[in-house]
Amino acid sequence: MYLGIDIGSSSSKAVVIDCDGRIKGSSVVNVGTGSKGPKKVLENVLNLSNVRLEEIEKTVVTGYGRMTYQGADKQITEISCHAKGVIYLVANACTIIDVGGQDAKVIRLNQWGGVENFVMNDKCAAGTGRFLEVMARVLDCSVDDLSLLAKKGSYGVQISSTCTVFAESEMISQLASGKSIEDIALGAHRSIAQRIVGLANRIGISKEVVMTGGVALNQSVVDAIEIEIGLPVVRLENPQVVGALGAALFARELA
Amino acid sequence: MDRVSELLQELKTIARNPRKSIETTLKNSGKKGVGCFPVYAPEELIYAADAIPIGMWGGPTKGNLSDRYLQTFCCSVMKANTEQALLKQYDLLSAVIMTTFCDTLKCVMENWKAASPQLKIIPIVYPQNRKASSGIEFFKEELMRVKGELEEILKCSVEDHRIQESIDLYDRYRRAMGRFVKEMNNFPITFDAVTRHLVIKASYFMDKKDYLQKVEELLGILQNRSPESSSGKKKVILSGLMSEPEELLHLFDENGFQVVADDLAHESRQFRESGPEEGDWQTRMAQRVAQQDGCAFLYDQEKTRGAGLLRMKEYYKADAVVLIQMKFCDPEEFDYPILKEELASERVPLLYLEIEQQMDSLEQLRTRIQSFSEMLA
Repeated sequence: MYLGIDIGSSSSKAVVIDCDGRIKGSSVVNVGTGSKGPKKVLENVLNLSNVRLEEIEKTVVTGYGRMTYQGADKQITEISCHAKGVIYLVANACTIIDVGGQDAKVIRLNQWGGVENFVMNDKCAAGTGRFLEVMARVLDCSVDDLSLLAKKGSYGVQISSTCTVFAESEMISQLASGKSIEDIALGAHRSIAQRIVGLANRIGISKEVVMTGGVALNQSVVDAIEIEIGLPVVRLENPQVVGALGAALFARELA
Repeated sequence: MDRVSELLQELKTIARNPRKSIETTLKNSGKKGVGCFPVYAPEELIYAADAIPIGMWGGPTKGNLSDRYLQTFCCSVMKANTEQALLKQYDLLSAVIMTTFCDTLKCVMENWKAASPQLKIIPIVYPQNRKASSGIEFFKEELMRVKGELEEILKCSVEDHRIQESIDLYDRYRRAMGRFVKEMNNFPITFDAVTRHLVIKASYFMDKKDYLQKVEELLGILQNRSPESSSGKKKVILSGLMSEPEELLHLFDENGFQVVADDLAHESRQFRESGPEEGDWQTRMAQRVAQQDGCAFLYDQEKTRGAGLLRMKEYYKADAVVLIQMKFCDPEEFDYPILKEELASERVPLLYLEIEQQMDSLEQLRTRIQSFSEMLA
């Protein structure tokens, strides 16, 4: 058995695979590096997989917290792991858009499924999951509800994609001017999509486009990205664990 | 400890402790110090005036005194320099030569005069059209003015033959550095990315003559040694303004990179171009600036930097280029789209990193550099 752990900024993910690469279990815990998340997700994934720790032959850790995790055989960046995981699931993928709690990354794959180029956001919350959290707080709803509200929006007000702080004050101004919450929520999703696509354009986007990371669970963001890039985005069943899956696949190669 | 380790340790200590190193240099030489703002300054004139040119390339200094004079979008080198000036850290300098290579530098000079009246500021303008005869004539006159101001402040008379001797010394230094950075490639373990950087940086805080002596001694020893193996290391060329903080370079070492060459303003751009050996001193200095290409801070109509990087890549058999972008450094930013396209058209892997001198966390950079290493594997 092989274990992959992805310790992100706001969640911990783990996947166990067998020697044929079949997923035996996966788990997500919504706290990340510096918390009990990594320990908890390890317990969860072992239970869900019905596997004891001693049965794990190799472990690879990835994500923001990879440098501090004890007990892995190797640490590999989330960029390589997401590429590995995506190619396993979508063999003809060319572009990966990975948006997590604090990071946004776009990865371009070569014809052999390896990383050809990548870009990351800089120290800025715009274009990451944090942006949606801030916007949801302004509208006094959860991030999931924000997505549902956006589905009901028709007009979509303009909200800054440059800066989360500016966007927050713009949102408050739009509320004060009487715009509907649904249109503001739609505007927020368009804003984050514009920011992510702006990042993606730096290395070019081509089919198949696959989205991973926690923000990929938000269907309104995926919809908005599809409109921005003019291409369909492959929606994975469990986009949050793709990095951990890639790590597990790397662990299998270590054996 | 062998002689090479001893010399490297000495140079690294000097580079890591600028303030102490400058004080020691000034005390031991009995000379005055003249600060030189990035990117280029007429150091030959300062040296000929029996003073020590001191590099002012910022540092890890943090604080908010400089906020009174600088916008938040000024680069961290300027912020650190201004902060240090306001903390009176530069009061040991007899003068500061301020250049005008970017919009921030152009605007901040008068602020400096008001904020730190105790510092004697000497402005210098490098010509935009530095290759045209009119540009060369302008720069020669500018050099004459700077020479006059230096003489007044340092209370000395700088004779022409002293400047010629100084230019000769600087050209000797430049040629030696050219050989030195190539020789370092034969010793990738001794000269890891951090050591390579610090050894070059030390020159900013030393008497050039003493620095040159140490470099020539190192060269002499290294040329008679068997090269070290570089197996498995990925060869990269660094380009940009500068490669600091030091922890950034640690990341290159940790991830198995060897810096085989650089196109950094703080490093090789300072010495990769020697001037003509003949002519009056004004012509020699102006022609050298006219000849230098591939630098974001010296206007280059032909945009030859990308071609230069491709030649370097070929010559050093490098695997990739890393562009280190100092946040808010406009001249470097203007070059990036052109470079990116030129390198991509030749399928040269390029890593773009944005840095500041005062970074608390390098984790994002760690991911970028490690990912790049994994990508090239």
